[in-house]
Amino acid sequence: MNLSSILVQTSRNLKQTWGTQIMTLITVSLSVLIFSFFFLVFLNLKHAGVRLGENIRIIIYLNSEIPPSSQPQIIKKIKSFDKVEKIVFKTRDAAFADLAKQLGPDRDVLNDLNADFLPPSIEVYPAKNLASLARIKQFSDFLATLPKARKVQYGRGWIERLGYFTQLIRLIVLLSGGLLVLTATFMVSSTIRLTVVSRHTELELLGIFGASKGYIRIPLIIEGLLQGLLGSGLGLACLYFLFSWIKTRFTGPGLLNIIHFSFLSSSIITAILVISILLCTTGSIISIRKFLRI
Amino acid sequence: MDIHQAQTAIIEFIKVNKTYPPDVIALRDISFAVKAGEMIFLTGMSGAGKTTLLKLICALEHPTKGMVEVAGQDLSKSSHKELQHTRQKIGMAFQDFKLLPKLTVYQNIAMPMEVFYTPKRTIKDRINYLLDLLNLNGKENIKPEKLSRGEQQRVALARAAANYPPILLADEPTGNLDLENSKRVLKLFKQLNRAGTTLIIATHDQLVFEDHPNQTLELTQGKLVLKGSAAREINETLGEQT
Repeated sequence: MNLSSILVQTSRNLKQTWGTQIMTLITVSLSVLIFSFFFLVFLNLKHAGVRLGENIRIIIYLNSEIPPSSQPQIIKKIKSFDKVEKIVFKTRDAAFADLAKQLGPDRDVLNDLNADFLPPSIEVYPAKNLASLARIKQFSDFLATLPKARKVQYGRGWIERLGYFTQLIRLIVLLSGGLLVLTATFMVSSTIRLTVVSRHTELELLGIFGASKGYIRIPLIIEGLLQGLLGSGLGLACLYFLFSWIKTRFTGPGLLNIIHFSFLSSSIITAILVISILLCTTGSIISIRKFLRI
Repeated sequence: MDIHQAQTAIIEFIKVNKTYPPDVIALRDISFAVKAGEMIFLTGMSGAGKTTLLKLICALEHPTKGMVEVAGQDLSKSSHKELQHTRQKIGMAFQDFKLLPKLTVYQNIAMPMEVFYTPKRTIKDRINYLLDLLNLNGKENIKPEKLSRGEQQRVALARAAANYPPILLADEPTGNLDLENSKRVLKLFKQLNRAGTTLIIATHDQLVFEDHPNQTLELTQGKLVLKGSAAREINETLGEQT
């Protein structure tokens, strides 16, 4: 197989259907951009969740202290529901000491109070992953059923919202992934079909001259491969510019400061490129098998 | 190119019938053999079946009945790969030229050579030679639509002959040519034939075949009237088979 000959054939294909080629390139790029954008948001939220999860604890206020002999049983019960980092049992005295420590120079206000006015508690530190974070409501509901539990407290509102939002982004990632598969495969497939139709006489002549299947088909497959490579490359380049723009505009004090924006890793970029190339090449092969009758 | 296989039939038709749907009979019971290195003229009126016969040789059409054998290969039983190899041995100049309008004259002629990955230098030399021989000098970078019918016809012939094919089929090669250019085309055919190429030339131009009465096959309403060596050969072949 002669490379220059194949490249000449490929460039002829591209020249003859350049309008459609550009449309396909834009469509593939947009699909890759949409998918990788939401994937990037998802990954950053996941990292943010993990970071936030480091500071999360669920406090179970108790009616009375749990004797040390019963503590292993309680620990076993808590761990049966979900993974936890740490479980701390706090007596009334320990809670009082903590409060005094937090008040610092103002600890004098506690002087006239009894040390037993604070309830004993159990502090549960959930595992530092997003799955645990998303299940924190169910976890806290479960903890409320523990013996002697009076009230369960955690930063409820924003944790729930972050969990729901992350689930929504995960759904969008899946949908946009599906969109990428459809557009890459079908758009490239129709473009190759158009090439086959527009070059029908030439391809038929090549068959008459005794050209091998490879000589006729490989340029069409390369066409699909190029669409995948250039389309995903362009999409990822646009995503990088968008990412840089967002990072410059939105970092600093404010809500978004809790998120440390980071771009896709080189392995993910490579995976997106390879998958796009494979999808577009598949689209090309489907069209060749269906429409090329030589 | 070594294609000198004298006394061997390179093309053989045995009881070939071709009917186009619904019931248009193009060829009836055609049997003949062409030896390697022969030059055969296929004559007959328009619609006699000349083009169909040529298309059967390069497997662009398939017989309804009978057998077509080219270079030892039964075309109806050939695999795609075998068919591809057989077609590589055939150069075909179509009656409607089949030139690609988006390519230049040079690119059109180069096509069959590119299929064989012929070096660029060789392609250039061969094209320059053919353009010179067929009086097409200076036309290499022109698109076919800018050429006259006669010039287009000669480009189609140059393309068919470009690859030194062992078999060359030409459908009405002088149909649009004046006397001088017809002679140039005949010169090309004779040159190719001298080099060993087997030629089948479908024509109703008497100038082309008048000097070769023994090499003429005449088609009349799809039936073959054999003349010359081809008739003798097929009679011998069929006699051996029965």
